Amino acid sequence: MDNNGRRTFLGACLGGIAAGFAAAVLWPVYRYLAPRSGGGASAKVVIPEKDVPEGEAKFFEFAGASAVLVRKRGGELVALSAVCTHLGCIVQWEKEKQDFLCPCHAGHYNADGVVTAGPPPKPLAKLPFSLANGAITVG
Amino acid sequence: MELLKRLYKWVDVRVGAGEIVEKELTGYLLPRNINAWYSLGSVLLFIFALQVASGILLLIYYVPDADKAFKSVTYIMNDVPFGWLIRMCHAVGSNMMVAVLLLHMLSVLCMGSYKSPREFNWLTGFILFTLVQGISLTGYLLPWSQLSFWATTVATNSANAIPVIGPQLVEFLRGSKMVGPPTLGRFFALHVAVIPAGIAALIGAHLFLLKRTGVSKPPFGQSNTTNQWKGDSYRYEDHPGGIPFFPNYALEDARSVFIYLAIFMAVVFFDPYLFFPKDAFLPANALVTPAHIKPEWYFLANYQTLKIFPNELIGLSVQGAAMTFLALLPFIDRGRERHPLKRPLFLACAIGGLLLWIGLSVWGHYS
Repeated sequence: MDNNGRRTFLGACLGGIAAGFAAAVLWPVYRYLAPRSGGGASAKVVIPEKDVPEGEAKFFEFAGASAVLVRKRGGELVALSAVCTHLGCIVQWEKEKQDFLCPCHAGHYNADGVVTAGPPPKPLAKLPFSLANGAITVG
Repeated sequence: MELLKRLYKWVDVRVGAGEIVEKELTGYLLPRNINAWYSLGSVLLFIFALQVASGILLLIYYVPDADKAFKSVTYIMNDVPFGWLIRMCHAVGSNMMVAVLLLHMLSVLCMGSYKSPREFNWLTGFILFTLVQGISLTGYLLPWSQLSFWATTVATNSANAIPVIGPQLVEFLRGSKMVGPPTLGRFFALHVAVIPAGIAALIGAHLFLLKRTGVSKPPFGQSNTTNQWKGDSYRYEDHPGGIPFFPNYALEDARSVFIYLAIFMAVVFFDPYLFFPKDAFLPANALVTPAHIKPEWYFLANYQTLKIFPNELIGLSVQGAAMTFLALLPFIDRGRERHPLKRPLFLACAIGGLLLWIGLSVWGHYS
């Protein structure tokens, strides 16, 4: 085999090993950087009923995102995602108006999470909850 | 292939890529008798890149806070997928980098490549060597283990021997009287920002000087092995009729990098804790000094030198003198001969120095 043939052979072998090595490195690096799955995604959140007085809202973290419990005037409870459906900002509770305002682009939702004004395309997502022995369990 | 050729042509007519390839790669000729030792520089460049990449990945989860550093390292090792691999690559890589750097220096010494007109190449290389030692020392503290804490205590304490300013210097290095949270903050900044930037700049200067002076001819396989440089004017040392850097020597470089990777991976997968004494697995405790705390293997000779002299200042001065001698070697050794076997005094000093360094390191390990 002449010198060029040997060089081409060596180049092909080293190139092949390099490609294999790169592939073997990419997977661990991807797994290292990937967000951790699980970790409370299915966990329930328990909030004492007295923490949500009439006409007020209680914000909390649920499944890795922000959520809110509202007790409307009249006593009805609602659990909602607090993430605005427009661009993902967190909505604020306006006690006087009994509605939610997204401060980013002035989206408005009523206490049930229905869009009343502004750019949000969808209502706030409703969350399941149950009430027992003076505790509200969300999730 | 056709698409690649068209893409190359598209780039070439715009930026003159072909001219650069001709000048820097295919037309860049190296001596015909060049050997594998010359590829160690490329191996070091590869190791540095790997250290930077693994270091950036570690930064994602590492927390430089004395209360959280050890926990964050434990989290990387035990909970983050492949975190152990990234950390082991970084820790083993740092040790391998020092080992390859020592081999690179040894080959330059033996082939007389440090001689005129390459004094600046040697000096920049020597500064790189001290910076690599510095980045290893500062990185050693970051896991905030018993080993990190007490090895740093001992290492920083040695500056105490410097007359007049010693105690102030130690406190300045640590950021407090004892090693503590302020030390972690400043060592972290040095390790991830200051020293890497210095190393990158010095690598740039080292490569620039290499390109300006040209690669030295190995003194093997030729009758005249004396330095041909006259010193009257600047002259690039070219090698007419030599072998092109690309593809010929680039393949040699790649081969050396892969041999290095094979050794590196063998350590990472089969003996990952080779460089980890058991104190590396205990969180730092400022109130409990472990018995027989030792520095890393490449500082063992320095450690033992400090121990055998009755006075710390003498020990430190001897080390300083040895380092200064090595740094200024091209200005001290003015002989024209480059072949190691034709330089008996050099060979005796080199072998003697190497044996002394190994002997002190072994003594330091078992003392």
